[in-house]
Amino acid sequence: MTNRINIGQPTGHVEGPAKVTGRAHYAADVMVPGLLWGKCLRSPFPHARILSIDVTQARQLPGVHAVLTGADLPDTRLGRFLLDMPILARDCVRFVGEKVVAVAAESPDIAEEALALIDVQYAELPAVFDPVEAMQTTASRIHAQPESYAHPPIPEVFLHGGIAEFFPPIANVVSQVVYRHGDLDVGFAQADRIFEHTFVVPTVHQAYIEPHACLVAIEPSGKINVWLSNKMPFLARSQFAAALGVPEDRVRVNPVSIGGDFGGKGSLMDSIVCYHLAHQSGRPVKMVMSYTEELMAGNPRHAAVITMQSGVTRDGRLTARRARLVFNCGAYGAFIPLHTVHGGVHAGGPYRVPHIEITCLRVYTNTVPAGHMRAPGAPQTVFAVESHIDMIAHELGLDPLEFRLRNVLTEGDAAPLGEHWRHVRCKETLEAAAQAAGWNTAKPPHVGRGIGLYDREPGAFGPSNATLTIGANATLMLLTGAADTGTGSYTILQQIVAEELHVPLTAVTVVQGDTDTAAFEIGPGGSRFTHTAGLATLAATRALKEALVSLAAQHFGCTPEQIQVQAHQFVSPDGGSLALAALTTWAATQGTVPLTRTGSYLPGKPVEVTSFCAQVAEVEVDPETGQVRLRKFVTAHDVGTVINPLTHQGQIEGGVVQGIGQALTEHLLVQDGAVTTLHLGDYKLPTAMDIPELTTVLVETQGGPAPYAGKAVGELSNVAVPAAIANAVFAAVGVRLTELPVTAEKVHAGLRAKEQGK
Amino acid sequence: MRTVRLRINGQSVMREVPDNRLLIDLLRYDVGLTGTKEGCSVGVCGACTVLMDGQPVSSCLTLAVMANGAEVLTIEGLAEGERLHPLQRAFIESGGFQCGICTPGQIMAAKALLDVNPQPSKEEIQTWMMGNLCRCTGYYKIIEAIQAAATEKVGP
Repeated sequence: MTNRINIGQPTGHVEGPAKVTGRAHYAADVMVPGLLWGKCLRSPFPHARILSIDVTQARQLPGVHAVLTGADLPDTRLGRFLLDMPILARDCVRFVGEKVVAVAAESPDIAEEALALIDVQYAELPAVFDPVEAMQTTASRIHAQPESYAHPPIPEVFLHGGIAEFFPPIANVVSQVVYRHGDLDVGFAQADRIFEHTFVVPTVHQAYIEPHACLVAIEPSGKINVWLSNKMPFLARSQFAAALGVPEDRVRVNPVSIGGDFGGKGSLMDSIVCYHLAHQSGRPVKMVMSYTEELMAGNPRHAAVITMQSGVTRDGRLTARRARLVFNCGAYGAFIPLHTVHGGVHAGGPYRVPHIEITCLRVYTNTVPAGHMRAPGAPQTVFAVESHIDMIAHELGLDPLEFRLRNVLTEGDAAPLGEHWRHVRCKETLEAAAQAAGWNTAKPPHVGRGIGLYDREPGAFGPSNATLTIGANATLMLLTGAADTGTGSYTILQQIVAEELHVPLTAVTVVQGDTDTAAFEIGPGGSRFTHTAGLATLAATRALKEALVSLAAQHFGCTPEQIQVQAHQFVSPDGGSLALAALTTWAATQGTVPLTRTGSYLPGKPVEVTSFCAQVAEVEVDPETGQVRLRKFVTAHDVGTVINPLTHQGQIEGGVVQGIGQALTEHLLVQDGAVTTLHLGDYKLPTAMDIPELTTVLVETQGGPAPYAGKAVGELSNVAVPAAIANAVFAAVGVRLTELPVTAEKVHAGLRAKEQGK
Repeated sequence: MRTVRLRINGQSVMREVPDNRLLIDLLRYDVGLTGTKEGCSVGVCGACTVLMDGQPVSSCLTLAVMANGAEVLTIEGLAEGERLHPLQRAFIESGGFQCGICTPGQIMAAKALLDVNPQPSKEEIQTWMMGNLCRCTGYYKIIEAIQAAATEKVGP
């Protein structure tokens, strides 16, 4: 194996200097001359008919340049996949926080003042907030003709063999997907006992610290310049152009730093109404959501109600599973880029479940439209899977670790939906976590340990492209079309280029192009970026290296095959050698440098490996108050080659703490359809005081599909944390919580109920 | 309207502002220093932290007129030319940020800590930094970065 100089080295972010000096520009930081500020009036009702809108006074307010209602706009429906969301409400509102009127004014204060002058008359309609209730035949219909909403064909890669249907004949159901493997009747017939439990997971918010922002400026030529908090500029361009009915090349999405994503920064959010304000006023318009608007009308994680039914033999082997997952879509399905909440495919867990049927339902309600958040659907599903497994173990009188070890996937096993993963290290990862946590060591009273287990494969979808240019003196610039959401993706690409060309990291800059200058790139998401953009970058770098060898051959007057590349020297057959910097400086005089090569990667067949994550939480529960203290947390991961240990560990740590938030404190509370946790004091994120002693164990295994045999890490560590913590609470004090978050109030109620023998 | 005179990163600044102008808006939109970020707007997340006469304040809760006569230090004023402050270097080397939106506030809060307590314990760092939310890192590497800066275990 070759000695690697950059791969595997802890490497600080390439964009670090900009981010620590305040020079990194986020969408809200962009200023252009003549800017107006846009704001929206939002619905106070969860479901109502709009009787009238009077904007006369708002229009007359000095400093106001545009006021728009739904009636002023084309009846365009927006969405990342399903096109069901109007730009501004038309005729009716479907959730508290839906945009009804938009204004553009010379300052944010004037825009706010204008909103206060608008009179909207509503007639309330029956509303439904619970997705299970919304499916009843008697429930009010939230959309009159949902079948009319357009959507593209469902990509094969996301079907997982499931049978998917949009708008099946069940009230308010957006989509139903049924995944089947094996024969459920056979599986349940083999069982000695059958267990069924239901779990409730409420909505949580991505809580990136940067609220959504956008700016739209229309050039005299008609070119539309857009800056927005969106990690996928090329998809944003497509959606933007489609929403306006203009060719894609009329729209330029410009690069900005993304102030936190976690899945939530993939939509157009306010940018289409922003465009219409800019068009109407003839001025550039900027819109920045307040954090209250973010919590009220962002695109939070789906709430879910999940029922798990499993058949088990007397000796503790799973024979069958029926899972029914009901995801609360909210009032519109526009915010997710797929037909379903994808994480439902994990309802079998990383276990041998020979017979399975999973039904995923996505249901309209009169609540905030849900979107994607880090491993969409998986934390909800895995909370159910791993709590259910723990409950069965308890019923069977088996240690939760032992019960899992009897059932986890091993090499050669079929996964629940039939995949045959290679290099399966589930057992090893689980054992490593248990050992690091001291699973079998003595515990003080009221202390308990709980396990959570999850796996996911690296993302393998969508094209990636990279453009690499070398200039005189061996300066290298990699042009990418993706945003770095903070995960360190640019740094990974920088390391790849530096590794292949044997140059120091400082020789390589990574530049995000706009959608006119960069080649098409889907962008980060679904744990795909290191894999797909990494391979595109690798291809570009190797192509450039080949071109450089040809240049060296020209220089030495030999054939390219005769050139040997040793470290950063190009060596000719007669012993002449030329460093890369000297070669490029010479080539510049010949007019052959700057030299550009591109690389592309489009995933073909599905990946053959997955990554396991086993976690153990150790909690202490106050028997009087029910307060849960997370003492220790162990997270074990089977990994391929770790390209950047610093950012790899950063992904693990950040994910674990997000999981802790979902487990213990975060709950986007909704009352009568309205979000009531409307600022970050009420919506409680973990702080620096709330983090446990953390032990990370990396179980090195054979490779993955990413460059240098890397695997995915971004959407692993957050997923099983809530289950691990809830299971630990049960182990500590015997209180089983089937609804998140695990609050002191719920544990307290459980403790009192136990005392009363309930 | 009122006249506000203050020093921002060592430069004298004078602006006519409405009484209700917030310090963050003065910095970002009147002076053009957009390094200070606005997150929650209610003084909870700490992204807008700047130092006013050496004290960390939430610039989203501070009226511009309250800064009259004050010395305000923002993230743009921390480096000496191209030479980064040890905290800035430590945040890069330790991976103390990811998306970077909270980072100006984290670094300014950490500077205020090290100014009063040059060798803080891990617990003291956690307590002090509690008012600066970060959604990316889980805080571990922020704490490591501050420890590294305090002990000057950072590169040049």
